Amino acid sequence: MTAVAPPSPSGPASAGAAPPAGKDPDGAVAEAGAGRARRGLTPYWLLLPAGLWLAVFFVAPLFYQASTSVQSGSLEEGFRVTWQFSNYTDALGTYGEHFVRSFCYAAVATALCLFIGYPLAYMIALRAGRWRNLVLVMVIAPFFTSFLIRTLAWKTILSDGGPVVGALSSLHILDVTHWLGLTADDRVLATPLAVVCGLTYNFLPFMILPLYSSLERIDTSLLEAARDLYAKPSTTFRKVTFPLSLPGVVAGTLLTFIPASGDYINAQLLGSPSEQMVGNAIQKQFLNVLDYPTAAAMSFILMALILLMVSVYMRKAGTEELV
Amino acid sequence: MSTTAPTSPRAGSHVLAAPVRWLRRNAVVLVGSAALAYLLVPNLVVLAFSFNKPAGRFNYAWRTFSTDAWTDPCGVANMCSSLGLSLRIAVLATLIATAFGTFAAFALARYRFRGKSTTNALIFLPMAMPEVVMGASLGTLFLNTRVQFGFVTILIAHVMFCLSFVVVAVKARVMSMDPRLEEAARDLYAGPFQTFCRVTLPLAAPGIAAGAMLSFALSFDDFIITQFNAGPSTVTFPMFVWGAAQRGVPVQVNVIGSAMFVLALVIVLGGQIAANRRKRV
Amino acid sequence: MTITLSGITKTFGDFTAVHPLDLTVPEGSFFALLGASGCGKTTTLRMIAGLEEPTSGTILLGDDDITHLPPHKRPVNTVFQNYALFPHLDVSENIAFGLRRRGVKSVSKQVAEMLDLVQLGDMARRKPRQLSGGQQQRVALARALINRPQVLLLDEPLGALDLKLRRQMQLELKRIQTEVGITFVHVTHDQEEAMTMADSVAVMYGGRVEQLGPPAELYENPRSTFVANFLGTSNLIEAQVVSGATAESDELRLRTVGDDTALRLPAARCAVEGVEEGAKVLVGVRPEKISLTHTDGPDTASESVAEGAPAPAGVPAGVPEGHNRLTGRITDASYLGVSWQYLIETPACSELTVYEQNVARDSRLTPGAHVVLHWRPEHTFALDAAQDAAAGEEAI
Repeated sequence: MTAVAPPSPSGPASAGAAPPAGKDPDGAVAEAGAGRARRGLTPYWLLLPAGLWLAVFFVAPLFYQASTSVQSGSLEEGFRVTWQFSNYTDALGTYGEHFVRSFCYAAVATALCLFIGYPLAYMIALRAGRWRNLVLVMVIAPFFTSFLIRTLAWKTILSDGGPVVGALSSLHILDVTHWLGLTADDRVLATPLAVVCGLTYNFLPFMILPLYSSLERIDTSLLEAARDLYAKPSTTFRKVTFPLSLPGVVAGTLLTFIPASGDYINAQLLGSPSEQMVGNAIQKQFLNVLDYPTAAAMSFILMALILLMVSVYMRKAGTEELV
Repeated sequence: MSTTAPTSPRAGSHVLAAPVRWLRRNAVVLVGSAALAYLLVPNLVVLAFSFNKPAGRFNYAWRTFSTDAWTDPCGVANMCSSLGLSLRIAVLATLIATAFGTFAAFALARYRFRGKSTTNALIFLPMAMPEVVMGASLGTLFLNTRVQFGFVTILIAHVMFCLSFVVVAVKARVMSMDPRLEEAARDLYAGPFQTFCRVTLPLAAPGIAAGAMLSFALSFDDFIITQFNAGPSTVTFPMFVWGAAQRGVPVQVNVIGSAMFVLALVIVLGGQIAANRRKRV
Repeated sequence: MTITLSGITKTFGDFTAVHPLDLTVPEGSFFALLGASGCGKTTTLRMIAGLEEPTSGTILLGDDDITHLPPHKRPVNTVFQNYALFPHLDVSENIAFGLRRRGVKSVSKQVAEMLDLVQLGDMARRKPRQLSGGQQQRVALARALINRPQVLLLDEPLGALDLKLRRQMQLELKRIQTEVGITFVHVTHDQEEAMTMADSVAVMYGGRVEQLGPPAELYENPRSTFVANFLGTSNLIEAQVVSGATAESDELRLRTVGDDTALRLPAARCAVEGVEEGAKVLVGVRPEKISLTHTDGPDTASESVAEGAPAPAGVPAGVPEGHNRLTGRITDASYLGVSWQYLIETPACSELTVYEQNVARDSRLTPGAHVVLHWRPEHTFALDAAQDAAAGEEAI
C-alpha cells in the first residue's frame, strides 16, 4: 500500500532555488489557464466583424471627413480637394464664439453634475440600505422616456410665468442670475441658464452611475478605520472617500463633458439663437446649408480640442485605465 | 420656558442641537433626494401633461384634464409608424451589435495577440467622441460613396455606436469569470463546444444581456447620429418628436413617453420583487 | 490505476515551474504532494488532469500514455481549489454534469447515491452560493466521484475551510477513499493535513521533489533541511565527524562545532553518503524527542523517571547513560496547553526548541535555569551542512 516510488533525480541541495520574485507559478497557472496556448488566428476571427464594422463605419468616415474639410466648391458644381485650409480658419473665425460657448456650458454642466450627482451617488452606495436597488432604478428609469420628450418637459417647467420662474423671481434669485448674465427679463427659457440646466439634467445619470460604482466598491471598514484614527466626518471624506472614488469622478466627468460639448438639442429646444453651441452650427452647415467642408472642419476642430482636453485631464487625474 | 429660563446663551443652542445634528447626519440624504427629484420631475410632468387637452398645437401649458390621448394613442399621423421604425431598427441593431460585440469581447478578454492595445483604443474611441462628430463623419462617408440614406444607413450607424458598449459590458463580465469553472467542465468530460454552451455562455449571459439592453436603449433613443444618416422617408420616433417640437407637439407623444416609463418601472420592479421572493424561500 | 510520471517538466516563458520529475503513484494509494505555494505541486497536478501540457516527459495511466490527451478524454477528475462549482446550476445538476456529458441518460439514481455518500440528500435543489464552505466542498467531491474516475485529484480541497471543519473533512475524505478504493492525489501546503491523510507524501520545493516516502519516515528521518524544517520543527546543530561507522559499530561519532560536545547517531540516519572524518554535518533532533533535566538533578518532589543505570560522573542524576547530551540555559518558557515549549541557549547552538509533555513538570524549569538536554542517539539525524539550515522555515 505504501508508496515505493523511484527517488527523484533532484539533488538534495536545492537551497536558493526559490522561484524568482513576482512569478508565483500558482498565479501563473491561473493566468495561463485563462488564455492557455490559444494564440493563433482565433482572436482575429472573433474580432473581424466588430473590427471591420468600426474600421469601415467609424475610422474610414473620419478620413473622409478629413478630406472633405479641405475641399472647396459649391453644392451645384461639386466639392473638390483643393487643400483649402482656410476652411479651418474661417470656421474658427465665424464660429469661435460657438466653440467657447460649448466648452463653457459643458464645463459648467459637468461641474453641476458632479455637485448634484455626488451626494446622490453617495446616498445610493452608502446610505440607501435596502432601498439601494429601488433608488438605482429610479435613476435609470427616466432613460426609458425619450430624452427629447423629457427636454421638452423642461420647456413646460421653466415656462414664462410658471411656478418655477415665479418662485425664482420672488426669491430674487433671478436678479442674481440676471446680474451674472445668465438670464434676462424675468424669464428662464431662451437663456443660458435654461441650456445649462437642460445639459445638466440630461447628462446627470452619466455622472451618477460611474460615481456610484466606484463608491460602492469602497470597503466601508476603511471609513470606519479613518474615524477610529481621529478623522472627523469631513476629514474622512476628504482624505479617504473622495480619493478612493476618483476613478468614478474621472469617468463621470468625461462621460458628461464629452457628449455635453457636442450637444445641440438643449440649445435648440431650451435656448435662443444667442445660446447656440458648436453642435448647432455643425448640424446647420451639414443638414441645412449643405456646406460640407465647413461642417467637416468644425467637427475636426471639436474632436481635436476634446481629445486634447481629455488627454491633458487624464494625465492630470492619473487614471488612464477607465475601460 | 418661563420656569427654566435660559440662564446662559448656551442653553439656546442646546434646544437646537438635536435638529442640527440630525440635519448634519442626513444632509447627504436630503441633497441626494433633491437630486433624485430633479431627475424625476420631467417624467412626472410628461405623465401629467399626457392627460392635458391643450388649446393650440403646443402642449406646454395646462388647460383641462382629458384621457383623449390615452384612448387614441396612434391618432396622430405618422407617429406610430415612426415608433415601429424605431423599434425595428433597435431590435436589429441590438442583435447585430450584441453578436459582434460579444465575439470581440471574448477575443479581448481571453486572448493575447498582436494589436490588442490598438483594438482596445479603437473600441474605446467611439465612446469618447461627441455624437455630432460621429454622425457628421459617417454622413460624409455615405454622401461621398453615394449610398442612399434610409433604413440601412441608420442601422449601420446604430450598430456602430452600440458595439463599443456591448464590448465593454461583456468584456467586464468575461474577465471576472473564474477560469477554473471552464477547467472544471473540461475535467468533467465536456468537450470544447459543450464547455462553451453549458458553462461559458450561461456564465457570460448577464454581461451579454446588459450589453443588449444598453444597445436597445441607446439605439431606440438616439437622435443626433440618426439625424445625420436618415433619409427623408425614414423618420424614427426621436426624429418625429424633434419635428413635432418645431411644428407643435401632440399629446400622444407624452402618452408614448409615459407608457414606456411606467412599463419599464413595472418590469424592473416586478423582477426585483420576484427575485426577492425567490431569495427568501 | 498507477500513475507514472517520467521526466516531466513544465516551463512558463523563461520560468521553470517543474524540473525533470519522476514519480510513481501506486494504485489505490492516498498520495500527497506537499509544498509551499510556488513549488510546482499544483502544476504537477494540472498536468495529470490534462489542464496543463507538459513541456517534456510522459504521463502513463496504467499502461496508457495520456500525456497529450485533453482533459475531457481522461478518466481522471479533479476537486478544484475553491471548488469551481457552476454557479448557474444547482447541486444535483452540478453533480450530474460529468455523467450527462458522457451521454448517460438516467442519472437520478446515481446522483441520489452520491448525495447520500456526502450526506447532502436534502440540498439537491440548492444553488452553490446557498451552501456553506464545507457543503460546497462535499458537492465538489461528489461531482468528481460520481464519474468513478481511475484517479481523483484534489487541489488544496480543504484550504478554504476553518480549522475544525478541516479536521472533520480530513477524516471524511480518508473514509471515502477507503470506501471507493481509487487512487487519490492530493495537493496541499499543510504538512499536518498531508501527514494525517496520505499513505505517502512527496515534498516539493522549487519545482523538484525533495523527499518521498510515508509520513512517519519523512518526519523521523528527513533527508534535507527543507524537509526537516517544513515538516514540523527541527533543531539543527553544526557538528564535525570524529569517526565514521566501523565493522564493530554502525555508529557515527561527532563533535559539535560550538563546544566540542560528543554526539552519536546510527550511520543509517545520516543523509550524507560516505562521510569522512572531519566532514561537517548538521545534526538534527525534533523538539519533542529532547528531555530536560535541571543541572542540580531531578526534582525530588516530581516523579521524574530515571531510566536504566545511574548517571556517569559530572552528569546530574536522571540523565540516562548513552543519551546525547548538551547543556544550556532556558531563555523562554511558554505554556501551550498540551505541552510546554522551551527555548534554550547552548554553546553548541544559539537556540534550541524543546517540547515537554505537560505531566509532572519540574517547577524549577523557568527562564534562567541551567539544564541538561538529552535524547536517544536513534532520534538523531544528520544532514549535509552545505545546505541552507533555515530552508523551509518560513515557507509556510
